[in-house]
Amino acid sequence: MECCNKRRMMKESPESNFMNRRGSSCFPDEVLERVIGMLKSRKDRSSVSLVCKEWYNAERWSRRNVFIGNCYSVSPEILTRRFPNIRSVTLKGKPRFSDFNLVPANWGADIHFWLVVFAEKYPFLEELRLKRMTVTDESLKFLARSFPNFKAISLQNCDGFSTDGLAAIAADCKNLTELDIQENVIDDKNDNWLTCFPESFTSLEVLNFSILHNDVNFDALEKLVTRCKSLKTLKLNKSITLEQLQRLLFRAPQLCELGTGSFSQELTTQQYTELEGAFSNCKNLNTLSGLWVVTPQYLPVLYPACANLTFLNFSYAPLDSDDIAKLLVHCANIRRLWVVDTIEDKGLEAVGTHCPLLEELRVFPADPFAEGDARGVTDSGFIAVSQGCRNLHYVLYFCRHMTNAAVATVVQNCPDFTHFRLCIMNPGQPDYRTSEPMDEAFGAVVKTCSKLQRLAISGLLTDLTFEYIGKYAKNLETLSVAFAGSSDWGMQCVLEGCPKLRKLEIRDCPFGNAALLSGLEKYESMRSLWMSDCKVTMNGCRLLAKEMPRLNVEVIKEDGSDDSQAERVYVYRSVAGPRRDAPPFVLTL
Amino acid sequence: MEEMVMGTLDLITASPHSSSSSSSSPTTDNNNNNNHPSSSSSISTRRTDLSTDLRLGLSLSPSHYSTPSSREQRSSFDWPPVKSTLRCTLVEKSQISHFVKVYMEGIPIGRKLNLLAHHNYHALVKALANMFRTTILCPNSHQLPLISGNNVHVLTYEDQEGDWMMVGDVPWEMFLTSVKKLKITRADRC
Repeated sequence: MECCNKRRMMKESPESNFMNRRGSSCFPDEVLERVIGMLKSRKDRSSVSLVCKEWYNAERWSRRNVFIGNCYSVSPEILTRRFPNIRSVTLKGKPRFSDFNLVPANWGADIHFWLVVFAEKYPFLEELRLKRMTVTDESLKFLARSFPNFKAISLQNCDGFSTDGLAAIAADCKNLTELDIQENVIDDKNDNWLTCFPESFTSLEVLNFSILHNDVNFDALEKLVTRCKSLKTLKLNKSITLEQLQRLLFRAPQLCELGTGSFSQELTTQQYTELEGAFSNCKNLNTLSGLWVVTPQYLPVLYPACANLTFLNFSYAPLDSDDIAKLLVHCANIRRLWVVDTIEDKGLEAVGTHCPLLEELRVFPADPFAEGDARGVTDSGFIAVSQGCRNLHYVLYFCRHMTNAAVATVVQNCPDFTHFRLCIMNPGQPDYRTSEPMDEAFGAVVKTCSKLQRLAISGLLTDLTFEYIGKYAKNLETLSVAFAGSSDWGMQCVLEGCPKLRKLEIRDCPFGNAALLSGLEKYESMRSLWMSDCKVTMNGCRLLAKEMPRLNVEVIKEDGSDDSQAERVYVYRSVAGPRRDAPPFVLTL
Repeated sequence: MEEMVMGTLDLITASPHSSSSSSSSPTTDNNNNNNHPSSSSSISTRRTDLSTDLRLGLSLSPSHYSTPSSREQRSSFDWPPVKSTLRCTLVEKSQISHFVKVYMEGIPIGRKLNLLAHHNYHALVKALANMFRTTILCPNSHQLPLISGNNVHVLTYEDQEGDWMMVGDVPWEMFLTSVKKLKITRADRC
């Protein structure tokens, strides 16, 4: 193995192979590397690398995938120096609250410099998965020409590129298997990027362009789908009509994951029958999404394909309770369900009745700002699901109000929650039956769900909620807080009480410098802390920065705001030192 | 008066969006007829209501929260925490129409256009160019006008603060909630 020989030449102590006096390894390095090379888990590899120098080296030489949760925590130089043989890189950039416009444009997380370094150090790079990064067309074009073995690109919540960049990927990545563009802010120039895949190109397995607004060249798409016999995932955008969908399904009955286009063309009886036939031919479908603009009368064409579905993503399809109930009768195998709250409590009762294997439920609000007699889902729908779906371990639930009793019942029914994200949309909303704070609801969650890893809290909450979290949530890794708490004590409880905490994101809470500084010892063991619109001042941040030089303490300054307040604070550990690319509104203290 | 005269023309130019939307969404029926044409102002009312909620609902300790005014100044897109791609698609469906007035420089009688019938700037400019039978430069385009003078225009809009801005600088979804009126002005004037 070429890489082994390279390393042996660099070895410091020639006798460390068999006669290892330190007693750590009695295997030849080649064997050690082969064994450690089989480890897939990041955590295991991390542990292994700490054992001794031999194991550290075996691990770094055998590593093929790397995951970087915060692109500013390490530099490309440091990364490539430690891991010389990487084939797949996953990078996450902006803080999560940038999804909700809390991070100004041009904040950073630009992929380009990483690509420049990778082109030199990882010329055999095959996969790139980015989340919340800025990616320009220039970067995509650079990528397409720099990595001859490039296979998979996945861009989630990224911005800065257009269909020109996609065209470059299509044209130049001869071995592409995956092009996955999810939820990005993309400039759709409607310039036939799909036609850039050469006629000889047949390797595509995953194609997701659902977020594009404009029409695509259907002829090119159909030809592409026809010749890529290994295509498993196809997610279309809303320009694709039902008739076109039927033609594509006819070409690709082997699909496992399908995102439909628009579901509302006017069909003749024959077209309807053909579409139904196309769906019944798709024996391998396990994931269904899309359904932009859905005409409920056409939903029955899906029924033949529903029996094997495990993931149904209807987050863009506002159906009512009757439509979802009729569909779910056929979906007994569903594990993950994403819906809009237009299905209301009655729809959730249908979920509880028909989907006993459900593990994950996400309910999104159709109209977050609806006034007056706004409907959506309530506590009774939540309870109904928990009664029918005892395997539920992931929930994201948007509602207008909730009760403590309902949440307590839900977690009694489903004590294995790992992810519990409840968003009561009116900030500071108390229990609507008792008018009390929602402290006991989240208290019940943390007391009952010992495996809880991720928690998002909302409603009227005092410091008691945070006391509960600090005392009981021993496996908690991610906590999201908004409009909650009474004093610094709340945040302190969490920082002192949750040993596995990695990400803490807080907005609009009365936590000030005392709270911020109580986490001095903690932040280096965490990925990051975000605090916006709290009561932290610039002086507090400066003190933190001074005491903890290995943390990057950044303040995002808005125009016209009070100079002494630190409205948006982002603190994270880094081995790369302060950012060199910070825009003027990001102050590194 | 002008609006009544232009009423019939609106029917011709308005896109048949309502026929294709799902009958299921409960918010489509009541709200829309009353809300047009000022849906954008109802959104800003909601924005203010949110701040009012924050002031009143948290009566236990109002001083603990940052002043509502700084939040109002910022866009209202940050709560509830729904990603903007999801938010705009769903809100788009629950509000079938958002008509704004459109004037072209030099023509006293304006038109009305449903912004929600279009998904992006490109579609909007195309529709307006058709409606007014002129060339409108796309935002951020690098096209140089082939014909100078009076047949090339750019698109501007009046925002919630009363300022006239060039269309195309902010994301489409953000534009939808801040636009009050549109104006097609001559390119050589900008």
